[in-house]
Amino acid sequence: MGTPSDQIENSSSDFYAKHKKVYPREVHGLFASLRFSGVLTLLGLYYFIPWMRWDGHQAVLFDLPARKFYIFSLTFWPQDFIYLAALLIIAAFALFFFTALAGRLWCGYACPQTVWTEVFLWMERWVEGDRNKQIKLDKSPWAKNKLILKSTKHTLWLLFSAWTGFTFVGYFTPILELGASLLQFTLGPWETFWIIFYGFATYGNAGWMREQVCIYMCPYARFQSAMFDKNTLIISYDDDRGEPRGSRKKSADPKELGLGDCVDCTLCVQVCPTGIDIRDGLQYQCIGCAACVDVCNEVMGKMKYAKGLVRYTTENAIHGIPSRILRPRMFVYMSLLIFLSAALVYSMLIRLPLELDIIRDRNALYRETNEGLIENIYTLRIINMDEQAHRYTLTAGGIEGVKLILAKKDLYAKSGEVITIPARIQIDPAYLKKIGYDIEFILTATDNSELQVIEKGRFIGPLK
Amino acid sequence: MSAAEQDIPNVQKIAAVLWPSFLTAGVATILFFTAFDPQLIMAVSGYGEISRMAGYSIGFFIFWLLTSSSCALTCYFRKPCDDIGKKS
Repeated sequence: MGTPSDQIENSSSDFYAKHKKVYPREVHGLFASLRFSGVLTLLGLYYFIPWMRWDGHQAVLFDLPARKFYIFSLTFWPQDFIYLAALLIIAAFALFFFTALAGRLWCGYACPQTVWTEVFLWMERWVEGDRNKQIKLDKSPWAKNKLILKSTKHTLWLLFSAWTGFTFVGYFTPILELGASLLQFTLGPWETFWIIFYGFATYGNAGWMREQVCIYMCPYARFQSAMFDKNTLIISYDDDRGEPRGSRKKSADPKELGLGDCVDCTLCVQVCPTGIDIRDGLQYQCIGCAACVDVCNEVMGKMKYAKGLVRYTTENAIHGIPSRILRPRMFVYMSLLIFLSAALVYSMLIRLPLELDIIRDRNALYRETNEGLIENIYTLRIINMDEQAHRYTLTAGGIEGVKLILAKKDLYAKSGEVITIPARIQIDPAYLKKIGYDIEFILTATDNSELQVIEKGRFIGPLK
Repeated sequence: MSAAEQDIPNVQKIAAVLWPSFLTAGVATILFFTAFDPQLIMAVSGYGEISRMAGYSIGFFIFWLLTSSSCALTCYFRKPCDDIGKKS
């Protein structure tokens, strides 16, 4: 067994950077199982959700061509952008909360980069074998066997990436139609492009770039320290217990040899997907995947030493200072998170699936009718965002003597339909005391009086 | 540029230009097309018809071109200019 730096082999390819290829060794244990179930759940959801149906449409569909988002029974319109913004703010606070609690939980278990890389590593292992075989294969000259193994691996990766790209586009274009046109070779140019783009990004990031994405491209890795404090759970090597490190026989008494508990097997370095040595302390490259915790516990078990030489702990705890997980910071993040989520849910519950836009005719401020009334012209847009069709009544108010004349009597809109109606407002000049008035347009569904919106429009009269 | 900065791997230099610009272009695309319908823009400006998918995609790449140019220029102007025109 060599020194730790020997454990990371030189890469034969300098395509992306002068960097040493990392061959993460397979690891088993509690945290590996957690990540395994995380990968299954998240990717399972990702590949399954576009195929779900709901009420005759795709359950989750961000229908960009139609400018509508369907999420189960809810339909969102560009006007509902505020919900997306709120959702992103909540996601940011959730990230703060979990980072302050236990470091880079997101990176280690849930980040798409980690999740897809993990699957690509599985495929690599199925084809090329374990870490040692992979290193040997890469060092060997290009012979028939190597060519077969490498091309099998890349074919697997590419197929998986293509499926990933197809699924991704399936969130934006109905996936059944997409599948049908794929089979008939009638895919649109932009669908084709985005399938290839996303597929290639998956292949490149999970197959080639891997830890370099985390180290060079991820902004979160750079500002994570702002969310850490001395009570944050991080993965640490217990220096006091481990040092001085050194190999020894299983039967040997480390005290007699003057050694700590670290047997210097370098397995923690071999399993690390970013190729660092956790025994050098907390490093920004550490994505908190806990592979080193799992593998070290296994070794400690074999040596019949106590587990946890590398473990989730806090900076305070490792220096013998009492450490608290529940600290003010956690409560602040937690309450903000709860408050924002509740506000979002509440506003979604009271959200009216009806909108009225009033566009004033810009060509003329006003005109006088034959009867001597002052008239303004508007275009009204009724957007029925509900799942059912509705018939509506429209009235006007706000000032005395207001008369509304619609070009269309029957205001009927199917689910998701936008209807446009020219409208005229007439007022007797006797009621007009000033130039401008705000008038109210009141739109009510005939079958449900609670489904009502009131919009203000400007009425302009003559200068007195 | 300090010696340490010159030593950063090429992948980091490329990522520093292409990646942040990709993210901001994505945000810009979402904000822009939430407010404006590409079909309406094309109709109003008289450039002919276009599918919305094409509108979004082209819009995204125009934004990416702009944001990546800006990132690249920032990198370029960070170079010290003391030595420009001096005889060595």
